[in-house]
Amino acid sequence: MNKFVAYLRQPEWSPYVAGSGLGFVIIIALVLSNALLPAPTLVGASGAYENLVAPIGTAIDPANTYFKFIMPAGLTWAVWVLVGIFLGGLASALLSGTFKLRKMPDQQWESVFGKSVVKRWVIVFLAAALLEYAAGIAGGCTSGLAISGGVVLAPASFLFIAGMFASGIVTAMVIYRKKY
Amino acid sequence: MTIIAPLFIGLLFGFFLHKGGMTRYHKIVNVFRFTDMAVLKFMMSSLVVGMIGIYLLTDLGIVPSMPITPTYIVGNLFGGLLFGVGMATAGVCAAPIAAGSGEGRLDYIIPGILGMLSGALLFGLTYNQVYPAINKIANSGAITLPEVIDASHWLVIGLFTAVTIVLFYILERAIRMRADKTKV
Repeated sequence: MNKFVAYLRQPEWSPYVAGSGLGFVIIIALVLSNALLPAPTLVGASGAYENLVAPIGTAIDPANTYFKFIMPAGLTWAVWVLVGIFLGGLASALLSGTFKLRKMPDQQWESVFGKSVVKRWVIVFLAAALLEYAAGIAGGCTSGLAISGGVVLAPASFLFIAGMFASGIVTAMVIYRKKY
Repeated sequence: MTIIAPLFIGLLFGFFLHKGGMTRYHKIVNVFRFTDMAVLKFMMSSLVVGMIGIYLLTDLGIVPSMPITPTYIVGNLFGGLLFGVGMATAGVCAAPIAAGSGEGRLDYIIPGILGMLSGALLFGLTYNQVYPAINKIANSGAITLPEVIDASHWLVIGLFTAVTIVLFYILERAIRMRADKTKV
């Protein structure tokens, strides 16, 4: 038992173990959603943000079909999953003593982008906006499309992963230049 | 509507994301530099475990159905291309932003979440102009790989698992050499 607790307290696990854990979470999600929802669902994050912003969307554009019918406002299943993700990160960080209020990434960022907090925050904002917009076009993010789609063997997932890696590699090459 | 079930799912999800290091800038960026393949190992492990479990449960009749994500070739690819730019620039991803917020990362809590909400808002407001056009091209519906190549899904799963194992083996040997060479 002690060894188990000690393992839970480790700050980082093998990605194989953590990834397999997520695989089990997906299986659990399938079982629970089949039992509790009208239609089964796996995991995903990008949809929840759309539910959360829907009230603002309909306020700006009352005739907007997306926020009225496709991703309506409300504390949906997806939103509660997102809340859970936050709590899960919190729990894991507290267990391993890595919870810390910080404004910048721990390593590597500053050697490439410098120490400016403003720069980091602006870049994160723009990147996150781009991410979520792209997830809308693709039909999901890494968890909602790549993983949840991949486990049911939908080609959509693998197309998305291909695109993601292609542009990610080029982007990293451009940003890191000589240090790539 | 029940709250405990999705909270529980999210809790485990966020927990594993954090333990896997997915909430850290250098972990996400370095997979695109081929110096730290944790993201790829994480994703493929979850895919292998997930697909075996899901198809097993469905074949055994324990679970009535699985949700098949529809395939829109242009939408999936183009969305992926845009997504990769954001991911490789800031080292963030949709769910890790929530998990990293729980870790105390203010750059995720404030600009991260605001950015996600803004992107979602922009998408919803421009939906009618953008989405139907893109997704009319090559909308294949809720197809699966086994259907496309006309094979048993266990054959596809077996092949995928085998490729994954081989890939993991190669990654462990080859990337270790590269990581030592290119430390930033």
